[in-house]
Amino acid sequence: MSSDLSQFNDAFFEEASEHMTSIEDGLLQLEQRPSDLELLATIFRSAHSIKGVAGMLGFTGVAQFTHKMETLLDQLRNGKLAVTPPVADLLLRCTDVLKALIGEAKGGEKPDAAQVGHLEQQLADCAAGKVLTANQAPSAPAPVVQVSATTGPTALDAPPHPMQFTIGWTPPGNIFQLGLDPMQVIKDLRNLGAVSHLKVDAGKLPALDTMDPEQCYLAWSLVLDTIKPQEVVEAVFEFVKDDSILSVLDTTPDPPVAAPSAAVAAPSPSHVRRTADDEGDVKPLGAILVETGAVSQEELNNALAQQKKVGEILVEQHVITPQQVAQALETQKHAEATAQAKKSDTATIRVDTAKIDRLINLVGELVITQSMLTDLGKNFSPVKVPLLLEHMAQLERNTREIQERVMGIRMLQIGTAFQRFPRLVRDLAQKSGKKLQLVTGGEETELDKGVIESIGDPLTHLIRNSADHGLEPPSERTAAGKHEIGTIRLNAYHEGGSICITVEDDGRGLNRDRILAKALKQGVIQEGEKLSDDQIWQLIFQPGFSTAEKVTDVSGRGVGMDVVKRNIEALGGTVGIKTTTGKGTIFTLKLPLTLAIIDGMTVRVGNELYIIPLVSIVESIQPKTDTVRTIADQAELINVRGAYHPILRLHQAFNIDPEHTDLLESILVIVETEGERVAVMVDELVGQQQVVIKSLEKNFRKVPGVAGATILGDGTVGFILDIRGMLDLTRRSELKVA
Amino acid sequence: MAALEASSKELDQEMGIATDGNQYLTFTLGDELYGVDILKVQEIKGYTAVTRIPNTPTYIKGVLNLRGTIVPIVDLRCRFNMEETKYTMFTVIVVVVVREKVVGLIVDSVSDVLNIAKQDIQDPPEFGHKIDTSFLNGIGKAGDKLVAVLNIERLFDETTLPGSV
Repeated sequence: MSSDLSQFNDAFFEEASEHMTSIEDGLLQLEQRPSDLELLATIFRSAHSIKGVAGMLGFTGVAQFTHKMETLLDQLRNGKLAVTPPVADLLLRCTDVLKALIGEAKGGEKPDAAQVGHLEQQLADCAAGKVLTANQAPSAPAPVVQVSATTGPTALDAPPHPMQFTIGWTPPGNIFQLGLDPMQVIKDLRNLGAVSHLKVDAGKLPALDTMDPEQCYLAWSLVLDTIKPQEVVEAVFEFVKDDSILSVLDTTPDPPVAAPSAAVAAPSPSHVRRTADDEGDVKPLGAILVETGAVSQEELNNALAQQKKVGEILVEQHVITPQQVAQALETQKHAEATAQAKKSDTATIRVDTAKIDRLINLVGELVITQSMLTDLGKNFSPVKVPLLLEHMAQLERNTREIQERVMGIRMLQIGTAFQRFPRLVRDLAQKSGKKLQLVTGGEETELDKGVIESIGDPLTHLIRNSADHGLEPPSERTAAGKHEIGTIRLNAYHEGGSICITVEDDGRGLNRDRILAKALKQGVIQEGEKLSDDQIWQLIFQPGFSTAEKVTDVSGRGVGMDVVKRNIEALGGTVGIKTTTGKGTIFTLKLPLTLAIIDGMTVRVGNELYIIPLVSIVESIQPKTDTVRTIADQAELINVRGAYHPILRLHQAFNIDPEHTDLLESILVIVETEGERVAVMVDELVGQQQVVIKSLEKNFRKVPGVAGATILGDGTVGFILDIRGMLDLTRRSELKVA
Repeated sequence: MAALEASSKELDQEMGIATDGNQYLTFTLGDELYGVDILKVQEIKGYTAVTRIPNTPTYIKGVLNLRGTIVPIVDLRCRFNMEETKYTMFTVIVVVVVREKVVGLIVDSVSDVLNIAKQDIQDPPEFGHKIDTSFLNGIGKAGDKLVAVLNIERLFDETTLPGSV
């Protein structure tokens, strides 16, 4: 059963990441509104959900850590502790660790155990009412608005004490059909503490010939000794409780008095031993012996090395044969391997059911149209041609709409990508000592899932850049007559067939002179070269280009902006900059709506059609005699308003039999990527259309100069040109000009 | 249990499913008969125009849109350095799966599905340097027919058709 639960893992990770976002978001807001109980309740619920499901799926690390967070959150919720900046900060750092722990469960790296332990300790201290000192919570108080709240606990909560519950449980008859196993529930209860008096009531079991093997006729009763509160015990039945007959009675024999004195008292040693598994703070015997100096670490290791493995012992006792051990080991290895394979990311997507409903309706319409056409075909006569055309038009409409809607399934709201930035800005403010606030807009704008996943990094770099370079320290801002809190605005909106995302700050703006000086020093531009403002701003995307005067913790090593440009261009987008000295800077990312469909220009060479992505096309020109130059009689160049671009004869590069070999009769399409331009020679521009990108590599391999394939209107295949590859082809065919 | 196995085997044979992998789809190139393991054949379709892929070996004729999937098409005559013929309405594309990739093979015509027992397939003879027999699994005998049993994986090297990524 427990292995079957792994099918829920993906859903859990998805859910957990949503809950994590809500926790983090809630905590950030809580810093501003420390007394918002509603908010606390939301955070608590999210944490509780993560804990519950993580526990059920066997991610004990996650469950245990969340449990400790929950304890503190509960104190806050009950008003026993106040939300102070250090507390909020501690909880935020805990969310980082929790994320790492979930990442580990997903098959990622193990988080630093020392850090986890340290945080757990702090959580416990904090929950126990110890006021956090500056040392424990090293970061400064909340950055944006100073939160004033009285520190110190108002009351102390009792530490966990032994409890006894008497549980009676009749699972729903269809529990097996629900995919659940009553034994797993009992096992989960065992994990909470000691189960005694376990009884199975088989009274309802019918005679064998009338028994439905898929029904559960059994009921259980048991006594559980645990230190967990009643909610936790009940949470075990989370998935079955709706249809079960369940009673959980607190039958603790001698309930301890929840007096403060008892609360502070240390738990008895026996108690510690029993809860070792739950709390994980009891050291192994070896570690204690080493610590007390009874043995050295080396001696301990030697002793441990002599310990026999269970397989060896069983073989020695002639219980099993060595072959059986080998087989079992093999099975284990295989299980590990499959588990590993399973862990590798299966990409899932959560889709709004309304979207699915619309799609189902559309498919229904399609089926109707199809049956109308079938009918028509069965007794067709020439008089019915208009009807046929009408049905065909309807078919086309249905198909197109379905395509759009199916594409829409991949579209997610960009808000999911924005959610991580409030935290980033908060941390940046703390590190830089500046006062910052983040304002976001257009969260509901929809964007392809793939694009959303890829814009996170570029946006992070841009926001860092704004926080570090753009926005001034408070003193400088007040001196300049601005509000002391610097604002970063993150906005998304549709523009034509693209999505625009802007990162705007009201800082000092880009420094023209400093950028120029730096560019001259780096040899990116020459003395006396005339550049437009826009060209100057684009210089900051040069690799290794940074005008920061000092390297800071946040940024300043010159990495970042070039990555932004490269990543955005890889997505078929562009980056624009607008800046006003003293007023601020706006970065605008323009991205295609989806990665699966592009706007393309179909071009013809001889009998062959190729598609050039529209985003790469700068312009198309008809060359004239005086604009074409050659070098060494080989490399051809075209002069476009003073700039020379190499010419790539597509028919030569692709061995096509062209209509024109004379440049003057052909058309040159000037394409650009990463700031480089090349003129591609074609016979004709056929037209502009949207094309669905199909993979050529799936059944074949990568072809130089070809980015992918698509299906043209007549059902044949057309190739989409790879502009980067075109540039490389130019070089390979020795057309490169030094 | 054994009875169950036996009956399912009979059923398989009745349904024409080769249980020991000895059914071959045979096709012709000129007068010669070739066979491929039927389990590797996805479908058979008539020849339709293909789109040439720039800068690829001549035996790769291009790609085809197979219900939305882009499938490379290989001319087997060309691959075997045989004389090329014009494609006609009888020209057939045998769509096979090689290393998890779907590939179409252009052949002159498709003939039968033949059962050839393992012992009726002999190792490919050595012709020295004259003829490359590495893409043959063996020479099969089916009645009086001689079938060159192809190893389609060996028709493509890793650079032409890389293994599944």
